[in-house]
Amino acid sequence: MLIVAGPSGANAHDGGAFHPEQQGRIFSVMDGVRDLNLEDGINYVDSPEADLEALTRVHSTKYLDELESFCRLGGGDIDPDTYARSDSFAAARRAAGAGLASIRALELQGDGVAFLPVRPPGHHAEADRAMGFCLLNNVAVSAAALAAGGQRVLIVDWDVHHGNGTQSIFWDDPRVLYVSTHQWPLFPGTGRAQEVGGPNAAGLTVNIPLPRGATGDIVQCALEEVAHPVIDRFAPDWILVSCGFDAHRADPLGELALSTGDFAQLARLVRSFASRPGRLALFLEGGYSARALRSSTAAVLGTLLDLEVDLEPPTSGGPGRDAVASAQSARGWAVAGLGLQ
Amino acid sequence: MHAINKVAVGFDGSNDSRAALHWAASLAVATHASLKVVHAVGLLEHAGLSGHATPHQDVALKTAIGAGMDRSAVEWLVLDGDPCSALLRMNEAPYSVDLIVVGTRGSGEHSGSLLGSTSRELVEHSSIPVVIVPPQSSRN
Repeated sequence: MLIVAGPSGANAHDGGAFHPEQQGRIFSVMDGVRDLNLEDGINYVDSPEADLEALTRVHSTKYLDELESFCRLGGGDIDPDTYARSDSFAAARRAAGAGLASIRALELQGDGVAFLPVRPPGHHAEADRAMGFCLLNNVAVSAAALAAGGQRVLIVDWDVHHGNGTQSIFWDDPRVLYVSTHQWPLFPGTGRAQEVGGPNAAGLTVNIPLPRGATGDIVQCALEEVAHPVIDRFAPDWILVSCGFDAHRADPLGELALSTGDFAQLARLVRSFASRPGRLALFLEGGYSARALRSSTAAVLGTLLDLEVDLEPPTSGGPGRDAVASAQSARGWAVAGLGLQ
Repeated sequence: MHAINKVAVGFDGSNDSRAALHWAASLAVATHASLKVVHAVGLLEHAGLSGHATPHQDVALKTAIGAGMDRSAVEWLVLDGDPCSALLRMNEAPYSVDLIVVGTRGSGEHSGSLLGSTSRELVEHSSIPVVIVPPQSSRN
């Protein structure tokens, strides 16, 4: 059973027709869900706003107050990329709340997978800062809630951009393992392999920066060779995916070269990290090509539900094999260095 | 007191950032420091959906040279990230600057709002001195 958790109705968080982070993205991914023809096989879960207790596990009260006040006064541009409108704080709280609602639904259901077609996206939002289209860190709010309940949480971030916000929030938290594959150099400029976590969580940040043009086989290799051993040792109870689709080759904001077939393989690999069924939730992050959003959503969810779906062939032969090896080496040195401190 | 050998200044083409650049260049001339002019590239600019670094570079170099800097002591840097993050990285190798200079408000920042204020976030997070230059200083 597929759980789809997200705000129902219109989302007034809107940056205008020329801003790529717009409500049409949700229409595209929901088209991808409908393409699976699941009919009664979807459990739609509405998402109430995340409460302050959940939000303040991740964000400072000062930041939340400022963001709420900014929106109440009508909002505006927070930085050259990021905007907020009068309804944006409520929209962001509902996006964060969708994660919490999906976790409750998965616990009740006991199996299946949850998909969260939410916006604004979250993985760039830091504890006290909005950036990169993101206001509240949706995946972090859910991970922190699970961690507070004694669960060990793996976050896999396959968005083309590094999730600087998620990394910084769990930098020194031994309850959460953060794994990211991303194009580098690229916004936000973080995510080097040497960034491995703080002294209390040495090695629990896994960054595998990849060059422009890297293909699906390289991303797969990065996760299998660099991240998989760390994940096995960590033994997560839950897996949350920062599920950006801007690593697709058609995306206008990224320059990786993945196909829908690659996303299907990544989904299969990530599912294999799970300790038991019903502990996997995918949070929409980036992705700005309507066509790629639709087809990639169908590819990932169809694969996780063991359905036959039309897929573009997996890609291979792009650059990045040496980057994966370098990341492995750089991580080793960085973790060893923390151990000597 | 630590000598000022390298100065970084944020530049986004706004009037405030021009004032900051002029002030930073004047300081660099007086202290014989080098100057790194930092232009942060966000998601939209990278995709060609807003702004472009090249025209900013021309304006920045003219401003620095106009303040008396030798061209060889000015470096134009285009870094991925939001302005605050990009400037905070200037404290790290290989840049390792001694001082960060910014204008009061960057492009798109709102008067009266602290949210998204690069200058405030820098002051909160930087481990090296930060100078915030008011726009009026461009008259000096």
